Amino acid sequence: MITAARNYLVFLRRCTRIAFVGDWRYYAWMGGLTVIALLGLNAYAKQLVHGLATTGMSDEVSWGVYIANFTFLVGVAAAAVMMVIPVYIYDNEELHDLVIFGELLAVAAIIMCLAFVTVDLGRPDRFWHLIPGIGQMNFPKSMLSWDVIVLNGYLLLNVYICGYLLYCRYQKRKPSTWFYIPFVFLAIVWAISIHTVTAFLYVGLGGRPFWNASIVGPRFLASAFTAGPALIILALQVIRRVTASGSAAELKGGIDVGGRPGRPATLADLELLARELPEMADVPEADRRRALAGAAVIEASPGEVLLRQGSASPHAFFVLVGRVVVKKQEGDLARITRTARPGDQFGEVSALHHTSREATAIAEEQSLILRLPDTALKVLLETRAMHQIVHSRMSERLMITDRSLLILRGIVQVSMIINVFLLVCEVFKEFYSGTTHSASAKYLFVGLHGHHALVPWIWTAIAFNLIAMVLLVLPLSRSLKWLDVACVLSIIGIWIEKGMGLVIPGFIPTPLGAIVEYLPSVNETLVCLGIWAFGLLCYTILLRMAVPILQGRLTKANEGQGDEPDAALPAATPH
Amino acid sequence: MPAPVPPPDRTSDAAMGRRSFLRGAAAFGGLTALAASLAPLRELGDFTSTEEFLQKYYKEMTPEEMARVLARIEREVKHQYGIRPHVRDLKPMDGVEFVYCLNLTRCIGCRKCVHACVAENNQSRNPEIQYIRVLKMPHGSMDVEKGDHNYKDAQVPDKGFFYMPVQCQQCENPPCVKVCPVNATWQEKDGITVIDYDWCIGCRYCEAACPYFARRFNFTKPEIPAERLNPEMAYLGNRPRKQGVMEKCHFCIQRTRAGKYPACLEVCPVGARKFGNILDPESEVSHILREKRVFIQLKEEMGTSPRFFYYFDK
Repeated sequence: MITAARNYLVFLRRCTRIAFVGDWRYYAWMGGLTVIALLGLNAYAKQLVHGLATTGMSDEVSWGVYIANFTFLVGVAAAAVMMVIPVYIYDNEELHDLVIFGELLAVAAIIMCLAFVTVDLGRPDRFWHLIPGIGQMNFPKSMLSWDVIVLNGYLLLNVYICGYLLYCRYQKRKPSTWFYIPFVFLAIVWAISIHTVTAFLYVGLGGRPFWNASIVGPRFLASAFTAGPALIILALQVIRRVTASGSAAELKGGIDVGGRPGRPATLADLELLARELPEMADVPEADRRRALAGAAVIEASPGEVLLRQGSASPHAFFVLVGRVVVKKQEGDLARITRTARPGDQFGEVSALHHTSREATAIAEEQSLILRLPDTALKVLLETRAMHQIVHSRMSERLMITDRSLLILRGIVQVSMIINVFLLVCEVFKEFYSGTTHSASAKYLFVGLHGHHALVPWIWTAIAFNLIAMVLLVLPLSRSLKWLDVACVLSIIGIWIEKGMGLVIPGFIPTPLGAIVEYLPSVNETLVCLGIWAFGLLCYTILLRMAVPILQGRLTKANEGQGDEPDAALPAATPH
Repeated sequence: MPAPVPPPDRTSDAAMGRRSFLRGAAAFGGLTALAASLAPLRELGDFTSTEEFLQKYYKEMTPEEMARVLARIEREVKHQYGIRPHVRDLKPMDGVEFVYCLNLTRCIGCRKCVHACVAENNQSRNPEIQYIRVLKMPHGSMDVEKGDHNYKDAQVPDKGFFYMPVQCQQCENPPCVKVCPVNATWQEKDGITVIDYDWCIGCRYCEAACPYFARRFNFTKPEIPAERLNPEMAYLGNRPRKQGVMEKCHFCIQRTRAGKYPACLEVCPVGARKFGNILDPESEVSHILREKRVFIQLKEEMGTSPRFFYYFDK
């Protein structure tokens, strides 16, 4: 128990330390974000003193960009689930490790959401009135109390799932299904619910006909599932770029030693492996002897290459002594996908499937490697425990392939089409029937009684959404450059449509027919920028911790080895 | 290939010294920047007190606790305005349900009710918060979108128009109460929807929910000249509010629960306003609702069922 607590604290300490280590680009990025976040904090301090009069809000338009951003970000958080569904329901291996990036984005987005509602409160000092038990939570009547519950619950769920999976990876332990799969499925339902509840926040207000429409809920989900995965597509490309260990050229050098004859492997070598890989112990001696046929032990010095991306050979490898790093070339960059330590396998996927090598394995230390022909590996895999461990480790590779980005493109594509369709439905209902209820919609789309503040915004949003939809439908967006353009357009389009385009016109005209327009103040804008910077700061820190763990650079195995951070981090030292 | 050999100078004393110096400087700089960005908070002043922060929910307070709270409010008002007020926690009376009737034929749009309300209920004068909004409406329509909110008092009454004052409608089914996440606003048994200004968190959800634009938010610290302060106060009524909380018409709780008429009624020069107990069949409002052919509940289709009725003489 005490050891477990100690181990966990060491894990947290090492993660925290790593967040403060990086190259100059990392420091510049974090420093810049910190400055903006502090400017926002300063603006918020002014708001606390002088009240919400420092914003552009009024009794007529009583919610503004704070709630607009909140609404948008709840959608981003909910969209993380769109990565979870392909992986856990359709068993998509490509996206496996990327789910964590989606969930971490959800964590950062929820933190921003909570910050945005907090800055919107007139009396944040009385937040405890919301806590059930000591306060007075108006549950289940008030949709806002539902929102408090679902948002905090979603935050906890995602922190738990990411934390558990990363800690298991750190400890090189197989995550226990019962400890996380039920939570993953709960999180899927929960994600839908956070966004539905946020939509109901508006839908439930009978006095605001612009919001009091049943289409708002479905529109929220459609736009969230467009903007969220679009944001993830962009984020993944940034992660891919900054976590590169160097240019692809570094994978060209080195002497190939994977094909060396080595010396024939013996039972003692398998025994050595069993010491690091306890599952080996289950393999009966007869099988071990069979597996020795064609097996060899080779020695590799640092920098020597054991297998090369693109080549073909029917061998799988186990590290007996030393350390091997597996790097993958993506475009013109190379990135560490994982690190094999004693007991770890590599090259097993292409050996079993007879495909060409997906990555290049390079010895980082003086290493002893057990090389098995695919037939021998299959013999070992006949033992259940071995089969399980080897298969579960197969997916432990941090890959950000173009193919996984294209899977997400498919999601953005379909959601955007649905989103535009729902918008058309809404516009038709408002304008064709032409009832007095359509005043807000008129104000938004064409202006009302000479007031048109939102008209340029909404038409920009519609133009962006339409262009993005066309791009996404065309095969053109299979190229990342055009996909990125489509993603940026959808994110901006939806941010406007769902923020300024949904929250503000709901208040205009007022229920008594007065038209008072709204424009965010400078102070209010600074607070928003500060929260966005803070959210990005959180996301960066979370990624900073997660990436080395997923790459196998930060593990329990290298605990206390010169307290590694610099050495372990690919991004720390550009070559 | 990255060489896994650490750069040798890292372990040298000079390098270690430089690193820890840089680390210290960064930490110091960061803390200074943090302190500087929080500097405006020095002006926070009497934002809240420990007593106010820890205060219990209105409905959970014992009479002794309530007495202490009333004493605190009196102390604070004395401190701020130099006047000792008389703050009471008036409870609803048995067998009473208040109803308001407004005669649209008589109303001339003079806005005397608006200003009497501000004076009675200690609303902020800068910026001025008003509970009553009078709409100048063209004859023949109840469509509020055709109403003019900003007409000049001097020109009333204008030919071809009628005037419709709108304030909290004290709904039987109030949307504002339903949405409040912390139960800071509720309906009392005499029909008045009240707000506990010490419990409101200022989320303004009620303001968004109200179909009558009846609620007002204290976007900044309310300002009332001391000589204008009405010292006769009620906890759920006209005691001075703080920055960041919601307020609205409460049928002058400090007057009506003590047997008086609301201020807006008393000041009305044409007798357009009628107020009373609907449970008493002899009351004026009971008579009006019984005898008048047509009366209007504003936005009846909302299902809010207001206790505020508009009617016409002829």
